[in-house]
Formats: sequence, C-alpha cells, structure tokens
Amino acid sequence: MERREIEELLPFYALDALTDEDRELVEAYLRAHPEARQNLDEMAKAVSALPYGTVPIEPSVRTKEALMARVAVDQKPRTSKPEQAPRPREMSWVNIFQAFGLGAATVAIVWAVVLNIQLSQMKSQVALLNEALVAQSNALNEINAKLAQTPAVETITISLKGTDVQPQAQGQLIADPNKNSAVLVIDGLDQLEPGKTYQVWLIDGGGPKSAGLLRVDANGQAVLIVTSELTIGEFNALGISVEPEGGSQQPTGDIVVLSDL
Amino acid sequence: MTRSKNANPVSVRTNSENSLLSARNASTSEQLSDEALATQVAQGDSVALETLYDRHAATVLGVLANVIGDRAAAEDVLQETFWRVWKSASTFESGRGSFTGWLFRIARNLAVDAHRRTNVRPQVLTDADGAERIADQMPDPDTDIPEQAQADLRNRQIRNALASLPRLQRVVIELAYFYGMTRQEIAQATGEALGTIHTRARLGLQKLREELDREEFEG
Repeated sequence: MERREIEELLPFYALDALTDEDRELVEAYLRAHPEARQNLDEMAKAVSALPYGTVPIEPSVRTKEALMARVAVDQKPRTSKPEQAPRPREMSWVNIFQAFGLGAATVAIVWAVVLNIQLSQMKSQVALLNEALVAQSNALNEINAKLAQTPAVETITISLKGTDVQPQAQGQLIADPNKNSAVLVIDGLDQLEPGKTYQVWLIDGGGPKSAGLLRVDANGQAVLIVTSELTIGEFNALGISVEPEGGSQQPTGDIVVLSDL
Repeated sequence: MTRSKNANPVSVRTNSENSLLSARNASTSEQLSDEALATQVAQGDSVALETLYDRHAATVLGVLANVIGDRAAAEDVLQETFWRVWKSASTFESGRGSFTGWLFRIARNLAVDAHRRTNVRPQVLTDADGAERIADQMPDPDTDIPEQAQADLRNRQIRNALASLPRLQRVVIELAYFYGMTRQEIAQATGEALGTIHTRARLGLQKLREELDREEFEG
C-alpha cells in the first residue's frame, strides 16, 4: 500500500474504527515514519473530545452501589494474605560461596545456550512474518483498489420530513433496500422531557414495527443505525413518535416524522 | 464490648476511625491523574476505582445512552464498563494513550454489542416498572456543583464545535466512533465511495480540531 493510501487510514486509526489488518498496516507505517505521529496526535486530540459532545447523564445511585458491591466481593480473594514461605535452613559463609559459584557458572552456560536457540528461532519467525505482511499488504491493495472503484451497492437516500407536530424536523434515511439496516440522520427534533424517548418505526402492510430508540443531542440532531428483521425495501414508510422511556410495542404518542419510503 | 489489651490495633479500629481513613484515601485519590488512579486500580484499590467512576460515569452514560437508546440498558452497560476497568486495569498502558481513550473504547465496544442485541426489541415499561426506574434514576446528591458547571461549559464548547461540522462529515465520524463501523462498512451503509468516506473523515477531524482550538478546548 502506498504512503498516501496508508495516511488515509489515519483518521480511522484515531477513531479506533479499523479492521485488524488495516490497524497493523498503520502501526507498521508509524514505526517506520515517526513524523506521521504528529498528524495522528492532532486527530486523536479531536477524537478525545467526541464523548463530551453527547449530553452527560448522571447515573443512578443504584448503579454505583451495584458496581462497588461487585468490587467488594471480588476484592476479598485479592487481598487475602498469602501463606508465609518456610524459612530456609541457615548455611555457613563457605557453603554459600561454593554454592553461589557453582550455581552462577551453570546458569551462565544454560543461559548462553537458551539465548542462542531463541535468537535463531526469532530470526526465522521475523522472516516468516515479513513474508506474511507483504502478502497481506498485496491482498489489501487489491481489495481497496476494487472497493474504491466500485460505486457502492444500490444505496438510496430518502428525505424525511417533520409532521405538523414538529415541522422543523428533517432528515435522511440512507439505505440499501436489500439490507436489514440503514443509516438515519435527523436534524431539528425538540428536546424531550425526562421519561420520554423518540422511537423509530418502519411501517409495512402489517403495521408499524419498532426499528430502534432515538436519542437526540442538545442541537436536536441524531444519527442512528436503524435495524429490522425484514429488509428495508419491504417497508412502505418510516415514522418517529414520542414514547415513554424504554419504548412501546406500538406508537402511542405524537408522530413527529412520517415519510413514505 | 471490651477491648483486649493485646489485640491487634487494626482489628479493633472503630467505625469512625475507618470512616476517617476511608475519607483520607478518597481525598488523596481525588488529587491524582486518571492514569495514576488506573495504576492504583490495577493494584486492587477500590477507592481509586470509585474516584474514576465519579469523574467519568456521567459522560460515559451519555455516550452509552446515545448508542443504545435505552437508559436502563445503558446503566447496565455503564456498570459493566467500570467492572471491566476494575478487572483489566493492569492491561492499560499510559504510554499508549490516555485513560479516557481506553475507557471510552471499552464503553463503545460494549455499547455496540448491546445496540445490536436490544435495539430491535425495545423494552416496554409497565407503570410499576416506570415508578421504580424513576426512583433508580435519582442522581447522586454528592455532585460537585462548581466542577459540574466547568464540565457543562466544556461540553457546550464541544457540542458547538461538533454542530459546526458539515452534516455528512459528522455522520462519518459518528458512525466510526460511536458505532465502531469500519470505513468499508460506512461506505456500504451510506452508499458513498471509499475515497469519499476517507475525505469526509479527514476533513471532519481537521475541522473539529480547528473549531476546538477556536473554543480553546484542551484535549
């Protein structure tokens, strides 16, 4: 893989969203090009802010109590006193020097032999790993070249609009009709009172089916992977309603978004 | 109960002495960095774990609820996240990144698993469940108000920076970070070419960094 191609992976490395193979390629590249670290560090700094972009939620007291109770139970075996080792027999100084000299010589000989064996084993392992890395890198190059050229699957983008309840809401559903999941992007939804949640529904001839709960951020925006047991193409419409926290089996509250698919 | 003259002083420590010692340990813990606390957790120090929990649990729960959608399920995953911190703190290497990076990675991976398991089957609350949940969700009364205000300001700055990103750049970043989707999966899910996904991620992170600099955020 060329330098430019590997550098394109750096944002995903910072986001911790690479396959194992891609991650290994980036790490090998960073070892060979330490100057690329600076660029990566800048990206990592931006990524470190992402969790703080969501609205923090103060956990219940019970969650902390349950955690600390688990820890206390686990701590007992960890902190139990180890049994005292038996005291060694007392030896004279002469015996100690003799034993030490003999022991040191034996250890040195054994150590030298072991090191030699390990060194030759490591050399052959490194050679094998290098071969495997080159083969993997070539295979990945081919896959990436194909992926970059292939206009991705039959994906369609459907515009979504708010109902009279929240006319400012708008969004998109990006979906391959033959798949069981799609990306839902929504803007302009109102903040809900505590104890309420938005719920996404995919609607077919049999009625609405839950496709996930939606939590909007402080700007009224949300990104959700909508999932369903049927393929997306089998549904006629998508709706979003306001439901009690935890969701409902059928829509019970205001419908805030409703669009044909 | 009378004390034996030769008893071990530790074994006869009174409840108030224990409370004082515990408070002193907690006070020392609060001054340590996350990374130093993680080292103590690796040595079996539960006070250090509690300090890390108090510092980060609200942010972690916000992230978890964002991905999972359901608060009750998110609280379960929160507990599991810190349990993993407790059990595997010895594997955290401060030289390879920050503690929060490591923590959020654990949380994200657990959240993605939970999202896949639960999101198609939302739980339905009965009235009795609802009343119990609301009682469960009462926040900790020991929350430090000035510290909370400072955290709120920082979070608002970050949300402003995120809101300033073009929508499609933000979508790529969120799918990668919060849902753990690889670049290939994002390309497939959004119908964009892989090259476009690369560009959006790079430009998005670059712009986010610039906006955070403008907001004077210290990562």
